[in-house]
Amino acid sequence: MKNMSPPIVETQNLSKTYGGIHRVHNVNLAVQTGQIFGFLGPNGAGKTTTLKMLLGLIKPTEGKVKVFGKDLDRHRPNILNNTGSLIESPSYYGHLTGYENLKVMQRLRSLPGKNIDKVLKIVRLENHKHKKADQYSLGMKQRLGIAMALLAFPSLLILDEPTNGLDPAGIGEIRELIKSLPEQYGITVVLSSHLLSEIEQIATSVGIINDGKLLFQGTMQSLQAANKVTIRFKTPDPARAEKILQSQGYLPKVQGRQLLFTHLPDEEVSYINRLLVEQGLPVTRIEEQKKSLENIFLELTGKERSL
Amino acid sequence: MKALSLEYFKIRRKRIWIMLTLFLAAEMVWASMSMSISISRNASNASWEALIFSISSMNGLFLPIISAIVVSRICDMEHKGNTWKMLMTTHTGRNRVYAAKYICANSLILYGVIAQAVFIVGFGWSKSISGDVPLSLLLQFALGTMLTTLVIIALHQWLSLTVRNQAFALCLGMLGGFIGTTSGLFPSGIRHLLIWSYYMDLSPITYVYNSASSYYVSGMPPMGLQIASLLLAVIFYSAGKLHNSKQEI
Repeated sequence: MKNMSPPIVETQNLSKTYGGIHRVHNVNLAVQTGQIFGFLGPNGAGKTTTLKMLLGLIKPTEGKVKVFGKDLDRHRPNILNNTGSLIESPSYYGHLTGYENLKVMQRLRSLPGKNIDKVLKIVRLENHKHKKADQYSLGMKQRLGIAMALLAFPSLLILDEPTNGLDPAGIGEIRELIKSLPEQYGITVVLSSHLLSEIEQIATSVGIINDGKLLFQGTMQSLQAANKVTIRFKTPDPARAEKILQSQGYLPKVQGRQLLFTHLPDEEVSYINRLLVEQGLPVTRIEEQKKSLENIFLELTGKERSL
Repeated sequence: MKALSLEYFKIRRKRIWIMLTLFLAAEMVWASMSMSISISRNASNASWEALIFSISSMNGLFLPIISAIVVSRICDMEHKGNTWKMLMTTHTGRNRVYAAKYICANSLILYGVIAQAVFIVGFGWSKSISGDVPLSLLLQFALGTMLTTLVIIALHQWLSLTVRNQAFALCLGMLGGFIGTTSGLFPSGIRHLLIWSYYMDLSPITYVYNSASSYYVSGMPPMGLQIASLLLAVIFYSAGKLHNSKQEI
């Protein structure tokens, strides 16, 4: 069912040019309330630039940003009051303790002091709160950054690569934390990543960006629906098999010793198998192959390489 | 006020107060030794004017360096922790943080100048310098020093927030110290172009040499120079603030 409420984040033809080169080009994002929106793209695709524009940290060359239905240019202070963010690397004062860093943020945002203990508990830093931030491990710094973003319990949380530098256990913890935010605190999350597996496990909807252009936007289900199922028949004489099948109106694609079909119902799979066997052609293997999300992503971004 | 109180909160454990106190202590020890030697050679050198002039001239060397270090410490923490983007994602404006840093740095130097005034009075009493404590001269000394400091800090804050590598700001501080020490050797036309010479130029005491003798003259520093330094402070502060606000994060 389509969500008809206005998006919590909306961009219209958002573009950013540096030295005549488009880093972000006509991006039209729409993030609905309560979503965990995964902003996926290879390194240098324009994710951080887009997120920075959503926060007004950099000015778009063209286009508009609306957050909470309000124009960012005109209502930035109000919007920021209700938005938490972690962009690129976590920001912190290394000579201050974790607690003091949160105190700075709490005073800047005029928040109740009890929020500090609450977020320290959420990110599991309560036992390290009196340690200087410089002495934190990378993962702890990342968690401190998330705590600072969460401190106001905002309606919108923007996280740029929040699991960067974390070990697998840390990634798992942060993933579970992010997943719990919409339900527990009513927070809509926009998070970027270059890792498909991460987005796949956290996000409810996804936007794929490459070379500054938004290539896909929709729910994870709609992305998976774009996934075509292929049936492969393996036979010792694919040329003869192709002829037999063509005479019956099928148009298989020959690939080595295999015949490939798309959108083939179960009954037809069984019929083709019987047909070939009756013609004296053994069928040595029938395989169903689904394109993985990774392949879809690579196809979309045109980057058949490690991301 | 919130931004300003946060600046004081943020500089905790930066040991800026201790560093400032130690630097000033070194200056005061040097001044004590220099004045004591001078008085032991000639008892007539034991005057409040000589004492204030001595501190003003030493300020030309010390205060540019101290100011550079103080401003650098206050600004560098934002570079090191990438905290500008954090500050900018709150409703606190960049200009407010800029102003808070400026006031904070100046207040730290003001603490130093007050400490110098206290030292002058203490040293004068310990050497039994004749006459009452010249409160008006001390006030003019503090005002002149702070007027110069307003310019120097505005310039340093601009540089320290623009260039991440604080070595540049510290080099400028050392260059300023050198100019401040040697400025007395330059003709006044050139000297007035160099803001580091204003520690002496805005001092209420000048030392006049002529062929027959040399003596101290006290009086209000030239109004033109006072206005010029105020204008320079406004120009450097505004330019720095504008430049900083235009920088993308």
